[in-house]
Amino acid sequence: MTSSFKYGGYIGQVLRVNLSNGKIRKEPLREDWARDFVGGVGLAARILYEELAPKIDPLGPENKLVFMTGPLNGTMIPAASRAAVCAKSPYTGSFFHSIFGGFFGPELKFAGYDGVIIEGKAKRPAYLWIDDDKVEIRDASHLWGKDPFKTQEILRKEVGDEEVHIATIGLAGEEKAPYAMILLDIRAAGRGGMGAVMGSKNLKAVVVRGTGGVSVPNMLRVYNTSVRLNELISTSPAVQGLSQYGTPRNVAAMNAGGILPTRNWQTEVYNGMKNITGEAMREKVVKGDRACFACSINCTKYSVVPSGKYKSVINGADYETIYGFGSICEVDNIEVLCKADELCDHYGIDLISTAMCIAWAMECYENGIFTREDTGGIDLKFGNADGMLEMIEKIGKREGLGALLAKGTREASRIVGKGSHRFAIQNKGVEWPGHTCRPFPAAAVGYATGPRGGSHHDIRPTMEKSGAVDRKVLEGKGALAAEVNHWLILCDSMLVCHLGEPIWGPGKISQNTINALNAVTGWELDYAGARKVAERQWNMIRCFAAREGFTRADDQLPPRFMEEPIPEGPMKGSYIPKEVLERLKDDYYTYRGWDLKTGNPTKEKLTELGLDFTIKDIC
Amino acid sequence: MAKVKVRTFSVIRDVLGADLVEIEVGAPETVGGLFSALVQRYGERFKNLIWDSDTGQMDPFLLVLNGAMIRSTVDMDRKITDGDEIAIIFPVGGG
Repeated sequence: MTSSFKYGGYIGQVLRVNLSNGKIRKEPLREDWARDFVGGVGLAARILYEELAPKIDPLGPENKLVFMTGPLNGTMIPAASRAAVCAKSPYTGSFFHSIFGGFFGPELKFAGYDGVIIEGKAKRPAYLWIDDDKVEIRDASHLWGKDPFKTQEILRKEVGDEEVHIATIGLAGEEKAPYAMILLDIRAAGRGGMGAVMGSKNLKAVVVRGTGGVSVPNMLRVYNTSVRLNELISTSPAVQGLSQYGTPRNVAAMNAGGILPTRNWQTEVYNGMKNITGEAMREKVVKGDRACFACSINCTKYSVVPSGKYKSVINGADYETIYGFGSICEVDNIEVLCKADELCDHYGIDLISTAMCIAWAMECYENGIFTREDTGGIDLKFGNADGMLEMIEKIGKREGLGALLAKGTREASRIVGKGSHRFAIQNKGVEWPGHTCRPFPAAAVGYATGPRGGSHHDIRPTMEKSGAVDRKVLEGKGALAAEVNHWLILCDSMLVCHLGEPIWGPGKISQNTINALNAVTGWELDYAGARKVAERQWNMIRCFAAREGFTRADDQLPPRFMEEPIPEGPMKGSYIPKEVLERLKDDYYTYRGWDLKTGNPTKEKLTELGLDFTIKDIC
Repeated sequence: MAKVKVRTFSVIRDVLGADLVEIEVGAPETVGGLFSALVQRYGERFKNLIWDSDTGQMDPFLLVLNGAMIRSTVDMDRKITDGDEIAIIFPVGGG
């Protein structure tokens, strides 16, 4: 396929679908926005800032759901298969991006679109069928109530093509549960309730088939860049191991380092670790390996529990499953974790938030806030595997205590009171992933200020966790957090996978990242140019939040991280007291050129970044 | 000569063949000396997991020496003694 778009890697066309009136339009991609915001998350943030009025109901028809690709998707660049789904989140109340791997993003480009903007609300359940340039809104009444995998099976038969790629929601999305996810083939856009937004539009699925391609200005340059990146992937010490053990390769090491979150973060050492490591998983349940489009990392594991009460088939488990349902709930049986993973996919709920909500309930139960009557007869103590699985079912169906837990820990603890907010491990409403910040000040301020709260994809603790920088020193940590933000957001606009962290980062935007972007687009960005793009993207998202009313006060950590030192292990004594966090925030805002009082970008900073159009909204 | 126990994980463990191995470290009896001994015993397969073949540099990582956290970037000269236990905590992100 050849494209008349000015820059390589882009199709130059966006699909706009209005479900309220059934109108489908193909619009040219704005060249200036592509250049200023690249694609993916950056571009989606710019579009949604432009098109969404502030304070809208995230679950109302006025919200928009944007599937966005990046210029590298569909090329041979490795670890660049991802795509983003973005909207105003019902979970945080601000812009949210959920990123997923697999094949959906490249397929969308092969169909001829850089992204899809979905507006309005269908009168009855619908699905979107994108078959190259032929696009239809079809009835999905027969799919409503079906789980994501069954829906995919039916749709493949219905459109008569086994090669399609499908985004679909489960029961939770249909019911607009706040942390409902979208399943894309076997991959999940788990976080931030993007599935709820999709459900609010009565949109059950998006089915994509494309037969085109992606054009680049210099094929040899892209080829050579890909070869080089594949060499780095195969030789990087920090990437090796993903093929063999997937992301759970780090479970045992993190436990030995005293940073494996356990028992709803009461401690960070788990005595039952040995049964749920990547090694144990490989030995007991893994049957094969799967890779995303054009990726040589090959991190996804295909696991089967063939029989018994935990019989299950999953693509995983990933580290976050093992953290969430394993150490956090103190369940040391890998078969149970596979079953938990499968149940989350079945209902279409975010696995991290589900696990953290159950752990919150377990701690409430431990402290007498919940009784057996509240739990529907479940002895909901830490370590009760069957009780945990039963509670996933209750959350999925929103039955009994599950209806409360389906609201998330922030809202649930607000309703329950009795000090239960102290057990809610969340920021901006988003429950924490399995990566600690108590010993790591840069990670702490990164999590606190991150647009998505509890997300390890807005900050990475790697520089401190590796010892590349001294974790005990506070000075310079605001700058470090900001530069880590920058490589992450640039990668989320190019849509390359964060598992290639040593190659794309890890402390700042790497030359590899810039080389890949330049090779595909034909740009000749230097470090300063790439950094400015990333800074613009980060500030764009901050402006969205500021326009919604977010301030410095929203940049917080869970009380536990500010008040309770890690009680044991090599990191014993580590925590981030409130006054330290405030000092780190000052440092971070100052480095960013943000106002210390409000935490918002200043007029000068916005002008410098070409974001003048936001000044009237937030300054 | 210091005889120390080394605990490793994931693919590094696969090369060493067990969660915990014992190794004798000759002069210098330091953390750096331990890594030289490990390279000597396990060869290129081990070296390739610790040293970046592209830069020739050891990738930074944390170690737990007798329960205390130390850093590869600054603690290679730290003394080790007979009976010490050291764990190699290689930095890896989650998915």
